[in-house]
Amino acid sequence: MAEQRVKFMVNGRSYEIPIEPHMTLVEVLRDKLDITGTKISCGAGECGACTVLIDGKPTLSCLTLAMTAREKNILTIEGLAKGSNLHPIQKAFIEHGAIQCGFCTPGMILATKALLDENPNPTREEVKKALAGNLCRCTGYVKIVDAVLAAAEKMRKGGS
Amino acid sequence: MTRPLKPFDYFEPTTIKEAVQLLSKYGTKAKVLAGGVDLVARMRRRQVQPQYVVSILRIPRLDYIRSDKKGLRFGALTTIRSIELSPIVKKDYAVLYEAASQIVSVQVKTMGTAVGNLCVATPASDIAAALYALGARLRIAGPVSERVIPIEDFFVGVNQTVLKLGEIVTEVIVPSPAPQTGGAFFKLVRTASDIAKVNVAVSLTVRGNTCSDARIALGSVAPTVFRTTRAEKALNGQRLEPKVVGKAAQLAAQEAKPITDLRSTVDYRREMVRVLVRRAVEKAMTRAGA
Repeated sequence: MAEQRVKFMVNGRSYEIPIEPHMTLVEVLRDKLDITGTKISCGAGECGACTVLIDGKPTLSCLTLAMTAREKNILTIEGLAKGSNLHPIQKAFIEHGAIQCGFCTPGMILATKALLDENPNPTREEVKKALAGNLCRCTGYVKIVDAVLAAAEKMRKGGS
Repeated sequence: MTRPLKPFDYFEPTTIKEAVQLLSKYGTKAKVLAGGVDLVARMRRRQVQPQYVVSILRIPRLDYIRSDKKGLRFGALTTIRSIELSPIVKKDYAVLYEAASQIVSVQVKTMGTAVGNLCVATPASDIAAALYALGARLRIAGPVSERVIPIEDFFVGVNQTVLKLGEIVTEVIVPSPAPQTGGAFFKLVRTASDIAKVNVAVSLTVRGNTCSDARIALGSVAPTVFRTTRAEKALNGQRLEPKVVGKAAQLAAQEAKPITDLRSTVDYRREMVRVLVRRAVEKAMTRAGA
């Protein structure tokens, strides 16, 4: 099928580009728009590394046909910081050593944002459930959960 | 495996009628796209290579959960996450809530639709087992006419359903539970994110301490989810004493037809059917007020 010109809204910016229907969202982000913070790992919905938010909902961009995401609000890891000022979730991940190799981090942080937007005061158990679709092979998760709880507290107090 | 998908022609009908026409025209060369978690993953693995993909995502009014005196209804685009978060489902259809909430990945539940899960027709479907216990029916649109069938008539075998050329499931209809009905869902998995080795969904209606209607569905222990009629018969009309429940669990284990595969063995699965049926019946009894 021929290429079609399609409009994407990524991190508040609008892009109009030609794509083919068999392209997945992560391919469009990384290869067409050069927005490479979103990672691709398992390609099968097991690892969560490719998580982005579409209209606020945590979505696996490697299993999403790009066509289905057109004209929706897509948030990737690049859209969280304001200039050089990192988002409180990003700061908390750094402060708590919740990042080692970093490959799972963009997906972890976006899944965290989806959780905290829905539930600003989660329990430890709720954090674990919310991140169950995101695999990390380095940290053992303890520091990630610590970081999420710390970010939640900071954000409740209106901190940045 | 992260290789790109093979090219296909892509359609986005905006009515069910249009979707049915496209699917009738392209037949087995076409696949329906809803949440995509199953279809796109299988396309990536080259397990399916449709020449035509028909997305139903832009058809309006397919994403809803409605409930009234008669029961619960949800549409072809209602996600597993929406079902999990619905206060009505949690309160009145606990077996369905428990099945949805035990699927672990939030992303998969946010994308994946319950109807899509049914249409994949995996024998391990937690959602299917819960809907068997609840006596759900499926509304199916097709080229000639619409039909409504019990969920038990939907599955034919592993990854096989009764859907004919051009047909799509548009709605799931769940009858309102009778007074003094309780449900429970249990599953056994290798790791939390894996599919079930065994799952058990139970719905019991009681009068006093006597069981007036039992529905017990088993998953992952036969080519399709099925109801264990022998166990149900052993409960119906009986006082729910430990001996009766134990006997029913035994019969359920005998009726299961599991296989040995990478997740588990025949013997272990059969034994776990017995254990989980007993636990699920006990929990459902308590919830029903027995």
